[in-house]
Amino acid sequence: MRRVYLDHSATTPVDPRVVEAMMPYLTEKFGNASSVHLLGQEARAAVDYARRQVASLVGGRENEIIFTSGGTEANNLAIAGVCEAAALRGRHIVTSMIEHPSVRGRIEMLEKNGWEVTRLPVYDDGVVRLEDVRAALRPDTVLISVMMANNEIGTIQPIEEIGALVRGERERGNRQLWFHTDAVQAAGRIPLDVAELGCDLLSLSAHKIYAPKGVGALFIRRGVRLSPQQVGGHQERERRAGTESVPNIVAFGKAAELARQEMNLRNAHTLRLRDRFEDEISRRIDDVLLNGDRQRRLPHLSNISFRFIEGEGLLIHLDMQGVAVSTGSACSSGTLEPSPVIRALGRDEELARGAIRFSFGKDNNDEDVDYVIGALARAVESLRRLSPLRSEVRSSVSGVSG
Amino acid sequence: MPYSETFKDHLAHPRNAGQLADANAIAEETNPVCGDRLRLSLLVRGGRVEAVRFLAYGCPPTLACGSVLAEMIEGMTTDEALKLTRKEIANALGGLPARKQHAAALAIETLRVAIDKAAND
Repeated sequence: MRRVYLDHSATTPVDPRVVEAMMPYLTEKFGNASSVHLLGQEARAAVDYARRQVASLVGGRENEIIFTSGGTEANNLAIAGVCEAAALRGRHIVTSMIEHPSVRGRIEMLEKNGWEVTRLPVYDDGVVRLEDVRAALRPDTVLISVMMANNEIGTIQPIEEIGALVRGERERGNRQLWFHTDAVQAAGRIPLDVAELGCDLLSLSAHKIYAPKGVGALFIRRGVRLSPQQVGGHQERERRAGTESVPNIVAFGKAAELARQEMNLRNAHTLRLRDRFEDEISRRIDDVLLNGDRQRRLPHLSNISFRFIEGEGLLIHLDMQGVAVSTGSACSSGTLEPSPVIRALGRDEELARGAIRFSFGKDNNDEDVDYVIGALARAVESLRRLSPLRSEVRSSVSGVSG
Repeated sequence: MPYSETFKDHLAHPRNAGQLADANAIAEETNPVCGDRLRLSLLVRGGRVEAVRFLAYGCPPTLACGSVLAEMIEGMTTDEALKLTRKEIANALGGLPARKQHAAALAIETLRVAIDKAAND
């Protein structure tokens, strides 16, 4: 059976060139980057080189990159670190309704501890409005955290505009306001430049860009006050204690370099596959809705709601045909947890439950697209034949015409 | 817990799917919390389920429970069908994860409502 992986927003396979770069640091170059001897120096040099490679991907300076265990830790460190350091000056956070659970969860924890939170809506296009950000700001706001691009629908948020707003606030004397963006989905897929974006903190993850799991980074602009959340060592400029995962960091650096060099090529490729996929689906399958703004979104991602059926059933049907995708909704213990992101677009529960994310990668090809379209049409038809929701629509339609 | 091969087979090849044109009892129950739905149409004659069809909307366990139920009760007497338990439905699918047991509950509930309707036909 053919296997097609269309879940690159969940994770990516490690690029063989990345494996090659990291291998020596698992074996002969195994030193601890904090050790003084030659092996240690070798590891330190490798970590510093990777830091430059990662900094280049986002236009930051080498000493503004802190390696973490992944995107989730980077988000936690950014939010908890800034809020802890700023707590005496204000306890208000502005964020969006469609953040990744690692941002959402950390902010909910602060809320339980007495912080106030303003959650910005997105509209039917899945995009935050600058006017809403401006209106949400208060004298005691210390953090704005809005993602660069959404993980379920891929919509790109107005980060540059929010950055300019924050800069304006600072020019008016507000020196306590920091701006964080979770760029885990965006990095390596769209050009990022922290100077242009105007963000103070930016989270990254390696395994979304063909490097291994277990490593990420946080860009922290020079001058940002941040309390470390993990202590017990001098690593990462005292901001994140713990022995550096040298092989993973080397891999992340290499993957960041490749992503930067190949970005245009990869984007043109996934964009073409994605658009052809969406055109064919819209043509061949009735009652589908594409979620999120058509233009303002990541080039590799497509989120589609299929009426009358439920995402998990579709996911398993596709899996049985060798196709890997994901859904944002879950039904657990008889309680439905429809995707908060799709719900935030104003979609009804049925459409939120029937939403599937297809995320393309550099190694997908046209045959993959053809195969998935066929598999999807079969799966959707099979589930719809079973659906009492469709039979109701059909009988009401025939009732009208009769 | 991953779904069993039997479970996946029911999902790929649902048994007795659809609606009976000559049903004498139709029941549709909804899980009020998650919105999962199961519709059973039965043809009951002389105290025996002669034919059965099902339609289902919701998570995969709801679809698989509908299918396995529709397969099991065809040919049973209504008394036998009423004795079926959630556990038997789940076992017939090779087991269900703890958080998906509600699907078997919906199947049993819908079955009881349908048989009740057939008895009052």
